[in-house]
Amino acid sequence: MLDESDVRATLAAALASGGDWAEVYAERRDSTGIRIDDRRVEELSSGHDQGAGVRVVKDAQAMYAYTNVLTHDALLEAARAAAAGLSGAQRATVADLTRAEPPTRHPVRLAPDDVDKARKIEVTRRCEEAAWAAGGDVRQVTASYADVSTRAFVANSLGHLSDETQVRTRLVVHVVAARDGLMQTGFEGPGASKGFEHFDEIDPATVGRTAAERALRLLDSDPSPAGEMTVVLNAGGGGVLFHEACGHGLEADALAKETSVYAPTRGQQVGSELLTGVDDATLPNGWGSFAFDGEGTPAQRTVLFDRGVQVGEMSDRISAGELGTAPTGNGRRQSYAHLPQPRMTNSLILPGGETREAILRSVARGLYADGLAGGEVNPATGDFVFGVTEAYLIEDGELTRRVRGANLIGNGPHVLRLVDAVGDDLATKQGMCGKGGQWVPAGFGTPTLRIARLTVGGTA
Amino acid sequence: MTLLELAQRVAAQAGPGEAVEAFASHSVTSSVTVFRGDVEKLSSAETRGVGVRVVVDGRLGFASTADLSDGGLRFALGEARANAGYTSSDVGNVLPAPAPYEPLDGISVPALREVPMGDKVARALELERRTLGTDPRIASVPAASYGDAWGEVAIASSTGVAAAYDSTTCYVTVYALARQGEETQTGLGFSDGRGWQDVDLAAAAGEAAARATRLLDSRKPATARVPVVFDPMVTAQFLGVLADAVSAESVQKGRSLLAGRVGEAVLGQGLSLIDDGRLLDGPGAAPVDDEGVPTGRTVLVDAGELRGYLHNTETATRVGGSSTGNASRGGYGSTPGVAPTNLFLDGSALPVDDLLRRADGGLYVQEVKGVHSGVNPVSGEVSVGATGLWIRDGALGEPVREVTVSSTLLDMLRGVTALADDRRFFPFGGSLAGATLLVGEMTVAGS
Repeated sequence: MLDESDVRATLAAALASGGDWAEVYAERRDSTGIRIDDRRVEELSSGHDQGAGVRVVKDAQAMYAYTNVLTHDALLEAARAAAAGLSGAQRATVADLTRAEPPTRHPVRLAPDDVDKARKIEVTRRCEEAAWAAGGDVRQVTASYADVSTRAFVANSLGHLSDETQVRTRLVVHVVAARDGLMQTGFEGPGASKGFEHFDEIDPATVGRTAAERALRLLDSDPSPAGEMTVVLNAGGGGVLFHEACGHGLEADALAKETSVYAPTRGQQVGSELLTGVDDATLPNGWGSFAFDGEGTPAQRTVLFDRGVQVGEMSDRISAGELGTAPTGNGRRQSYAHLPQPRMTNSLILPGGETREAILRSVARGLYADGLAGGEVNPATGDFVFGVTEAYLIEDGELTRRVRGANLIGNGPHVLRLVDAVGDDLATKQGMCGKGGQWVPAGFGTPTLRIARLTVGGTA
Repeated sequence: MTLLELAQRVAAQAGPGEAVEAFASHSVTSSVTVFRGDVEKLSSAETRGVGVRVVVDGRLGFASTADLSDGGLRFALGEARANAGYTSSDVGNVLPAPAPYEPLDGISVPALREVPMGDKVARALELERRTLGTDPRIASVPAASYGDAWGEVAIASSTGVAAAYDSTTCYVTVYALARQGEETQTGLGFSDGRGWQDVDLAAAAGEAAARATRLLDSRKPATARVPVVFDPMVTAQFLGVLADAVSAESVQKGRSLLAGRVGEAVLGQGLSLIDDGRLLDGPGAAPVDDEGVPTGRTVLVDAGELRGYLHNTETATRVGGSSTGNASRGGYGSTPGVAPTNLFLDGSALPVDDLLRRADGGLYVQEVKGVHSGVNPVSGEVSVGATGLWIRDGALGEPVREVTVSSTLLDMLRGVTALADDRRFFPFGGSLAGATLLVGEMTVAGS
């Protein structure tokens, strides 16, 4: 998408004041957004964004300048602005650029650009109507559709060049149900690195109905009790726990800076022997998948802990350099206006040998969390908290009362050790992960997990 | 061509029966983050873009582009027009009529654009040095940053709106990490203003170090029901939840727990909640909102009683009222929503020490985790993880960790029994003012 001789000249200008290497990242992003709210097509938006950033790296330092004017002069000006962050003499030169072949593909059968807007609205409409139809206590339905096609170009002075188009599609529905002054919400948001065919594979009506039924069920629930108890996390939903409690702490920038609770434990047994966790950007058509990360490193699958032993981390080029390892292809950026950071892609806990039913039967008294909301973690301490969207009490191996408003509070390394049963039923969810002001698509996957004891914050 | 002229050129292409608005923005930003005496990240950027709204027969279409060539602008206008053909008609889909506005002196300090990059780097390094030198228990400074921005916005429409202004901002933020034995704690400090001179490095360094070190040697307590005091940063976070609830957009969509409560008591102690877009102390100050409507002062809660909501043109038109000047966009790529400009609590305020004396034996909450997941803005249920300190003899005592604070938002707001006089605006995620707040008795769940 950029002229190769312009790119070479830009990289050369970027290296003029002593960088080890330099990079040009450019993208074009075309997007469609639809929102149906209160039965009306409230919004249909088209976005066309473009821009390029020039980065100069010396040791662990990154100088960055970007512009959304894609002319040769604007690129050269950005290169000079980035180079102005250093004050040495030129030390590195620009290698011949070689176009890299994608290591994995996430095929798109129906490019969103080739689909009529009326069909996109129809998909959103089906989701929305099914939510309304789920019950008389449904008060509000908002259904949103999004497609984003990003052409991402990366070239660096070490000779790398890649040019990839990433396509993502997602349907998101929020439902509010109310009865007798009590309001509850339900949410679903399936996304994938796929084209419009995604909506043939997931039934939009099922998506809407599922969210609405959850909101309706929560109307018939009691406030959650508080205290320490055994907690069983449903398949898929537990991904947020893994993401928050371990994932962020295994991002290599936090390890290199020793701000992560996992910095001192590389190579050690940090979790239950039942737990193997991976980050996998090669997951076919996964929400967090790609062929090249935001700095051109090929996508890969990285084992983070193997039967509880901490064996890996997720890195970009700079943090890998600091740790003395090879980059794992986790350098992700929200857009051309952002520097790459080590980020998760699709984080998964691999399935174990027990059925969900057997795990539930094993609990005399506890909480079954059927879906988790977002959470937060302090990477320095490993302390975390996240909300439970829907939960049930487990009494003598049976799900009994439905409860709402529960929160799970704990500490990452503690919880990893306390997982004492792993189901055979891996399921994945999709979300947007925020870090350092940047939001990127992230997939989460887990089987059913039993945690021997965890603090439940409730409202009862 | 100025940015306003560019926006006017797009708006002038409105055909018969259609209204066209162009929102154009141009920004220049820079930031520096240092770590262990070296620049870790340095960024410098310039971006421009235009968002186009077209309204035909009450139907709205939108498109945006970063391509400001004639061809790029023509394409965006054409797409916005086409999109209007697919959406539903709504009485709220109107562009505002023009209204005169007063420029706001003091929100732009042009000299900020002349500061050399080397001075910015030196300032971030000085901030890191000062933070490390504050206390021997500060083991590291994971990030010390300097940043500044200049931005210009222009809005023009075929209905006659023509508004433009520029503003600047300058800030430092620092995270301090304190260590004692195996335990680590982090603390955030910041300082901000419009120009280079407004930033106070010593204050930011001292704040980060104090917030981190005072949490060392924290314990998880037993569950108890005690008075709870919010630190100003925590108050600002909850004000963020309240900001959603007072948005007429949330109210009209049935997503606000304050819907239908105008005239009811919603805040304790006769406190008021005010939004003021012309308050120069606030980082959100601007002469017009993001559709060119003049900003002003809106009293949302007056002496404890809910008076109304924040509006943009769309939400106001739906209820036959007028916009409060609270249209807000995420950037040129998005349509206007509703957001506060500078939101703050007002009323009779005590010195912080007096407030703490009233809360003896209570919990001073310094940090809450999980506000975005633990507060349901619709049902009002609150359950968040908290870290803080016990209040002993009118002062901050020993630290506590891993507790949960649970209530409902309305109970919490109505239960407020005192506001301190330490109001300060927080520029993170909007312009929300915090102040130390005694929110009354709550259940603090520990072990």
